[in-house]
Amino acid sequence: MPDKMPTVEIVESNWTAEERAEFSRRRRGRNYLLLAALGGFCLIIYAIALVKLHENGQMW
Amino acid sequence: MNTPAIKLRGLGPSAQRAADYIDRRASGATAPTGFQGAAPLGLGATATDWLTLLKPRVLTLVVFTGAIGLILAPVHMNPVITLAAILCITVAAGAAGAINMWYDRDIDAIMRRTATRPIPAGRISAPGALAFGVILAILSVLVMAIATNYTAATLLAISIGFYVFIYTMWLKRSTPQNIVIGGAAGAFPPVIGWAAATGSVSALPILLFAIIFFWTPPHFWALSLYASGDYERAGVPMLPVVKGQRHTRVAIMVYTLIMVPVTLAPFVLGLTGRFYGVSALLLGSLFTAYSWRVLHDAQDATGASLTKNAPAKACFKYSILYLFLLFGACAVDRLV
Repeated sequence: MPDKMPTVEIVESNWTAEERAEFSRRRRGRNYLLLAALGGFCLIIYAIALVKLHENGQMW
Repeated sequence: MNTPAIKLRGLGPSAQRAADYIDRRASGATAPTGFQGAAPLGLGATATDWLTLLKPRVLTLVVFTGAIGLILAPVHMNPVITLAAILCITVAAGAAGAINMWYDRDIDAIMRRTATRPIPAGRISAPGALAFGVILAILSVLVMAIATNYTAATLLAISIGFYVFIYTMWLKRSTPQNIVIGGAAGAFPPVIGWAAATGSVSALPILLFAIIFFWTPPHFWALSLYASGDYERAGVPMLPVVKGQRHTRVAIMVYTLIMVPVTLAPFVLGLTGRFYGVSALLLGSLFTAYSWRVLHDAQDATGASLTKNAPAKACFKYSILYLFLLFGACAVDRLV
């Protein structure tokens, strides 16, 4: 394991400040969507597991 | 707009190769393989672009018909499992749509109606869209198998495969009957919903499958009558492009006349009640009237509309409402 997290950055860019802000906004939006998708997936698997365990009498 | 060079620090060579690829695309250089007509990737995709890959408009109909299959099934299901089954059907249909957009990115770029989609517009890379579709397809089938049963999961996998391999990759570009046979892909959701609840398939879901199967040609041909220029430019052999508009108008009428008796079959066979039977008759009569107007639209010698295809546009809009109302009537009939 590296002692420092790798950094990812865009260099040699001649984007304007507005373009940089737009790029960040879009990336943030994508990250939130991914978070929601992964969270939803975990939740649905968890709920299915609870239902299946309950149906099979392996829970209270 | 000038595009940046991307330099990754602290990551491996494969990540840098990916960045170099994006860089080449952004600078307008041709991609190593595949489609070469996409715009630069620019500022990247928005979250909405990724959701657009799932074809959300089509999904509403898929969710609805899938849910009807679950409602009609004579088995009580746990609400969590019901929700999971509907979600799996939705995600699978969306995944098939994403793979379809990946495969059709060359013709999408040519057609006005689809040129702004995320891949031809250059906001999402083609490999990214393919990976997105494949991952969602696999996950949806696996979760369906875990949550419900293997019959439903197998049907779900078949429906994805049918849409991607049979319709998108084979039929769509090779025959004017593409919609007729390919329509089967869109007819799966109620069967999958029923199978998720019961673990088997019986007469009613097969009839629901047949209804969507025979509904698809008049629905799509009505659209293709006023979008045939797009299809012609892209070289897609839709019926109006290959056989002409007059032939297409007749085909819409013929398939409507086949579809209406099929919609009455569940009532005639005693699988639904009187409410559905009356609804199917009234809605079907109206569909026939819309098709009749398409057939007798004012036309020139080639069959091209002189009314800017107003009857075809009305028929297309009604066909969507028709399916919602017909399946809704079926559900109401069962629940009340």
